[in-house]
Amino acid sequence: MENTIKVERAILNLTQDDLAKKIGVSRQTINSIEANRYVPSTVLALKLSALFGKPVNDFFKLTKDD
Amino acid sequence: MNTERIINCERKRFQKLIKFRLSHRFMTIGVAIVIVSIVGMFVRAFALDNEVEWLKQLLQKTLLVGMLIMSMSKDKVEDEMTIALRAQSYAIAFVVGVIYALIMPYVEYGVSNLVHSGGEAFKDLGDFQVLLFMLMIQLMFYHNLKRFR
Repeated sequence: MENTIKVERAILNLTQDDLAKKIGVSRQTINSIEANRYVPSTVLALKLSALFGKPVNDFFKLTKDD
Repeated sequence: MNTERIINCERKRFQKLIKFRLSHRFMTIGVAIVIVSIVGMFVRAFALDNEVEWLKQLLQKTLLVGMLIMSMSKDKVEDEMTIALRAQSYAIAFVVGVIYALIMPYVEYGVSNLVHSGGEAFKDLGDFQVLLFMLMIQLMFYHNLKRFR
């Protein structure tokens, strides 16, 4: 699974810490998601979707390994 | 209908029990209990003249309680990733603890006989040693998993 959360965050001009506070997780969790080290739950993905105003598929993509 | 409500109620209670965690301030309390217990163990071993068996037992129990409180207390920011990492650390601690309990008595017996010819007789590990090891592994792995997340 890969994602473009970093890009979406940059569009909204948010730091990792700002985004973390908005969806109620730690900054390290956002960092791990952006680095593709952690795949978030559906709840967290939907929270991100609501914040970015885009469907989850727009910023989370399946890779060949998945 | 009534049976379904009872099952749902039981399920909710069970979920609540599984998700139970102490608040973050308990981490400080746990650390304090552990430090006091370790200091007490040193004092008992080196400063007290006569062997006080009940004090040894008490300090072992308080050390385990302190570590359990540390293990069960929440992080400053508790989210789904920390919950996943904690679950991972418990799984690792369980597996490593079982391996330790199976292998360590033979290692102790072997080393003892190697160092002193006709050394100690074979004996199993005590509950304190196994529990202490498992809690130490859990806390250590949780800390490391968080560091490298």
